[in-house]
Amino acid sequence: MNDLALLTRSPTETRGVGRALAAVVRPGDVLVVAGDLGAGKTTFVQGLAEGLGVPDGIVSPTFTLAREYEGRVRLVHVDLYRLDRAQELLDLGLEDLADDAVLAVEWGDVAVAYLAPEHLEVRLAAGPDADALEHRTLALAPRGRSWVARQDALAAVVGAG
Amino acid sequence: MLVLAIDTATPQVAVALGDDGRVRGEIRLVGRRRHAEQLAPAIAYLCEQTRVRLEQLAAVAVGIGPGLFTGLRVGVTTAKVMAQTLRIPVVAVPSPDLVAYPLRHAGRLIAVVLDARRREVFHARYRPVPGGVQRVSDYAVGPAADLVAELEAGAEEVLLAGDGVEPNRSQFASLDRAEEAGPEFEVPSATALVELATGRIEREEFTSSWSVQPMYLRASDAELAWGQRR
Repeated sequence: MNDLALLTRSPTETRGVGRALAAVVRPGDVLVVAGDLGAGKTTFVQGLAEGLGVPDGIVSPTFTLAREYEGRVRLVHVDLYRLDRAQELLDLGLEDLADDAVLAVEWGDVAVAYLAPEHLEVRLAAGPDADALEHRTLALAPRGRSWVARQDALAAVVGAG
Repeated sequence: MLVLAIDTATPQVAVALGDDGRVRGEIRLVGRRRHAEQLAPAIAYLCEQTRVRLEQLAAVAVGIGPGLFTGLRVGVTTAKVMAQTLRIPVVAVPSPDLVAYPLRHAGRLIAVVLDARRREVFHARYRPVPGGVQRVSDYAVGPAADLVAELEAGAEEVLLAGDGVEPNRSQFASLDRAEEAGPEFEVPSATALVELATGRIEREEFTSSWSVQPMYLRASDAELAWGQRR
């Protein structure tokens, strides 16, 4: 199970990775979107939404916790930043909300035990060049059979080797 | 003695009205997980058609899961609120019991398997005994493969029931002494809940309406793993 590593040079490129990923996601998929504040998690999900055909732009769900968007495939965008306990996450009822949607969970790595064991982890970080402020490293880690099976397709759409 | 029975642990909304253990009416709405929208109107319709006023209820019985989180919240909260406002007791019954009980004449081990999402199942095993079933395992959650391994080790005839069977059929196929109970035994039965609850009411086995809790099985009181990150 190999992680894919990508470098993006601008928010536009980060968005482009999200848009490209839309080609391989299916209803029921879970994307765990990890990375510090400002790493580009929402930017990435915005690209994903574009790729899924969500007509209007999406906004960060930090305060609303979860937002749903109709696209070619429904997108449920969740942000765990304001949650402290697993109970609060379960209260969102994601299992019902996102059963037939693509679920993108910002900060999902803090609650990975409560999300589907099969998921794609997308980890964003600044760098590697500290002077290139807009550069980001993206690590895509397939977890579970269904994502490992899509690894080649994944590499192809995001243009990684 | 009138009892209202509610189970919302699966995508189904099930309500039944029992009178001394016999069912006067039952409503089952299957499939779309619209518990919040459907439960109260179903109760209202059932009471209206059976000409029962809520004030006449002697108890409310509720399936407490394990099952779908949102559904359980709706069912258990509704039961608690009704019990508290009507000042009547609650009878809490685990939902897998309500799948097993209608199979009490099956004459073999019964494995109840409910879809837990995230590619896991809730499961419990039962044996028929005179007048009902007796649970012979803990209520558990995990991959279907774990249950299959346990059943394989037991090497006995088993009847598989519940909505977790079909999505995991390929795994259960490796059991050569297993049979599926079929679609009519996929979800908890509100009729079974009336029957089980009536016995418990007669024995005064109530749960305080303040302490009734859904049985989630998955730990939910844990803190999220923020570490130093916020």
